[in-house]
Amino acid sequence: MIKFDEYIKNLNKRLESYFPESIAPNEEGIFKPLDIYNVPEREANEYKFKSIKYAFKHHYENNSFYKKFCKDSNVTPNDIKSIEDFKKIPLIPDKFFKTYPSGNEFAMWLATVYTGDLPDIVINKNDSHEKIINKFNKAGLVISYSSGTSGRHTFIPRDKRTFHDSEYAIAKSVITMVYPFWEYDMYGYVLMPNPLKTNVFAGKVCSVYFDAIKDIEVALDREITADLIQAAMQNNLKGRIIRYAMQRENKKMIERIIKWLREKNKNKDKISFVGAPFILYFVMEELAKNGEIMDFGENGAVVTGGGWKIYEDKRLPVEKFRKMVEEILGIPPENCLDLYGMVEGNGWMVHCPEGHYLHLPTTYYHARVLDENGEDVDYGEKGRFAFLDGLAMSYPGFIISGDEVRMYEKCPACERQTPVLEPEVKRAAGAEMRGCAEEMRRILSMDMSG
Amino acid sequence: MLREWKDKEYVPPKQLFQLFIRGGFALTKVLLKNLSNLKNVRAERISYTPPERMYDLPEYKEGMKYVKSDEKYLRPTLYCNPYGKEIIAMANHLGAFEKEPYEYARDAFEFVKRKIILQIIPLDGVVATLKRGYGTCLHKISLLIALCRVAGIKARYKLYALSVIQQWYDTFIGADPLMQEWYNALGYFMLHGEGEIYLDGKWFVADVGPTPERQAASSIPITRFGEDSIGIWTQAIPGSIMRVESLPLGLGIASKLLMEKISPGSVAKMNNNVLRQYKEGRKILQEMGEEEYDKMARKGYKMPTIELEAKNIIFE
Ligand SMILES: [Zn+2]
Repeated sequence: MIKFDEYIKNLNKRLESYFPESIAPNEEGIFKPLDIYNVPEREANEYKFKSIKYAFKHHYENNSFYKKFCKDSNVTPNDIKSIEDFKKIPLIPDKFFKTYPSGNEFAMWLATVYTGDLPDIVINKNDSHEKIINKFNKAGLVISYSSGTSGRHTFIPRDKRTFHDSEYAIAKSVITMVYPFWEYDMYGYVLMPNPLKTNVFAGKVCSVYFDAIKDIEVALDREITADLIQAAMQNNLKGRIIRYAMQRENKKMIERIIKWLREKNKNKDKISFVGAPFILYFVMEELAKNGEIMDFGENGAVVTGGGWKIYEDKRLPVEKFRKMVEEILGIPPENCLDLYGMVEGNGWMVHCPEGHYLHLPTTYYHARVLDENGEDVDYGEKGRFAFLDGLAMSYPGFIISGDEVRMYEKCPACERQTPVLEPEVKRAAGAEMRGCAEEMRRILSMDMSG
Repeated sequence: MLREWKDKEYVPPKQLFQLFIRGGFALTKVLLKNLSNLKNVRAERISYTPPERMYDLPEYKEGMKYVKSDEKYLRPTLYCNPYGKEIIAMANHLGAFEKEPYEYARDAFEFVKRKIILQIIPLDGVVATLKRGYGTCLHKISLLIALCRVAGIKARYKLYALSVIQQWYDTFIGADPLMQEWYNALGYFMLHGEGEIYLDGKWFVADVGPTPERQAASSIPITRFGEDSIGIWTQAIPGSIMRVESLPLGLGIASKLLMEKISPGSVAKMNNNVLRQYKEGRKILQEMGEEEYDKMARKGYKMPTIELEAKNIIFE
C-alpha cells in the first residue's frame, strides 16, 4: 500500500496549478500540512488563528459594509488576540446573500459585497443576472450561486484565488478521507452539470475532479443558467415544456451511465462517482429493475453531496443509499461517503469511512454551533451551524448558516484529530430547504416514478 | 409664484429632474418597441377588487384644535393639505395636543403604517387617502406628514430611487412580462420614500410604506418608528436620496399617465399580488404573534446593512 505522505504528495503534484505562487498566511493551513485530519491540536490552532485573523483584518480594512457591521458591534482586528476571541467576530446570516436588488443594481450589490478592488466591468442596462455574472467572470472573477426553493439565489463573489483554494480544499479533504483509494489513472463520473458550463457553485467546484482524475464523464452536459432553473420551477406552460424536455434527457442520461457502468465493470476498471445522490439512486433503481448486479468492490467509490430528497415527498435515508450501493454496485459502505459544504464557504466536511461522521477542517476554518441568541451551545447539543472561513478573501466568510447540526469534540468512530458533525445535516425549522442536490433535483424535476 | 414653488420645493430637485428625463427617454423607447404588445396588454381585463377601509372616520366637530402655520415643514404642500376636516378629526382622535409630541407622532406612524393598505393608484390628496384607506407609499407618507403638521410637528419627505429586494420585485415587477421588460425604464419612476418627523431637535425616520403583514410575508423585521427601511428591504440608488418639504410638481400627472393610460392591467396584477402578500403575512402573524415574529426576524443574527458602491463598474 502506498505511504500516506507519498499519496498526498502525488495529489499535490497533480494539483500543482492550484498552489499560489507564494502561500499567504490564511492559506498555510490547507496547503502546508500533509494530513489535515491529524495535525496536532496546538499546531492546528496556530494555523487556524493565523488564517482567520488575517482574513478578518483583510475584510475589516477592505470591505465597507463589513467594516460598518463590525463597528456596529464594536469590534476591531486588534480585539482578536486568540481563538477565544473568535466569538467577537461578527457573523453574517446566510440570508444576507439573498438580499440582492433587482435590475442592474445587482452588479453594484456584487461589487459592494466583494472585498477590495474590482477590474473594470461594463454593464448594460438590460443585462440579466446571468449576463452580469458572466461579465464579472470574464473579468477574472468566479461568481457562483446556489438556488433556494423560493427561487431566490444565494450569490457569492469569489476571486480566482479563493475559488482555487476552495477547489484544492475539497479535493484534499475527500482524497485524504478515501486514502488509499485515489490514483490519477482511473475513471470518474460527475453527477452534476458540466462545471465549465454552469455558474451553479456545486457544479463549478467539481472542475478540480478533472485535474485529479484522468478520465471524466459528465452527467449533464447542457448549460444550466439561473433563468433556466427559475423557468423550470414555474408551473406554467414554459416550465412544463422545459421539464418535459429535461425528463427525456434524463432518461438518456441514466442509460448513458448504465452503459458506462457495464463497460467498466466488465473491464475491471477503477471508478468513482462524485455528485448528487439521487441521480445514482435512479441509476441503481433501473439496474435493480432488471436484476442487474455489479461487483466493483474496492475498485469503486461514491462521494455524494448536498441533500437526500429524491421526490418531492420522499427522502432517501443515507444508510439505505449506502446499502443499495453495496448490493447493486458491490461498492462497500466504507467507500461511500457524503460531503457537506455550501456555496457561502470554502470548508468541506467529509464522512469518515469508519462511522460516517462529518469531519471538520481545523487549520483554516473555525466551526461554531449557536443557539437562537447567537451563543455557543455545548458539544452534542443541537444548534445552528456557523463558521469562520479563513480561505474567503473576496467576501467576508464569517457566516451563520440555516443548517441544524450537532458537533462532537472527538469522532465517536475513528481516531482522526478533528471535531465532527453528526452524519446527516438538516435545515433548521423556518429556514429554506436547499442543498446542491436538492437544487439539481428541482432543475431536473426528475420524477421518474410515473 | 415661482419663488413660492421654489421655496416650498415643488420644483423637482436636480437629481429627480435628471432621473425623470432619463426615465422618460427609456420609457419612450420601450413603448415604441412594444406598441403591439402593449395593445394586447391593454386589452387584457384583470379582475380586481380594491380593499375595504379598515377603520372608521372619526367625526369632525366645530372648534377642534389644530395648528395653522406658514412655517417651512408645517405648511401645506402639494397633495398634502393638513387642514382637511377629516385630517383634523383623525389627528384629534389619535391624541394630538393630549399626548407628548413624540408619543403622538409614533401613534400616527403606527396608524398610517398599519391601517392604510398599499395599492398602486395615481397620486391624489391626503383627505382622499384617509377616506379610501389605501394608496401608494407616497400617499401614506403624505398622510403621516399631514397628521404631524396639523398637530404642529414639522415633517418632510425623504425620497429616493429605489432598488428593492427580490421578493418585492416578484410582487411588483414579476407580475407582468411587459412590466419586466420595462423595469429598467420604469426604475427611474420607482420613487420610494419615508417620512421624516422633527422632534426634540432631531429628524426621526418613519417607514410607513409596508404594513407589518407585508413585511412578515417577506421575512423581514417590522420596521418601527425611527427605523430606516434602507438596508432592511431597500437599497437606495447612490446619490438619489433627497429630503424635501413637498412632493414635486408633475408627479401626479406622470403617475396618472403611467397607471391609467399605459397599462391598467399591469397595475391590477400588481395590486392583486400586494393583497395576496398581505393575506399571507396576516396568516404568519396570526400564527406566531407579531412580537414573536419580529423577534424571530431580528433574532440574534443581526443583518448587515449595505450601501451600494459602483467601484469600477461602468454602466452603459
Ligand atoms: Zn470519524
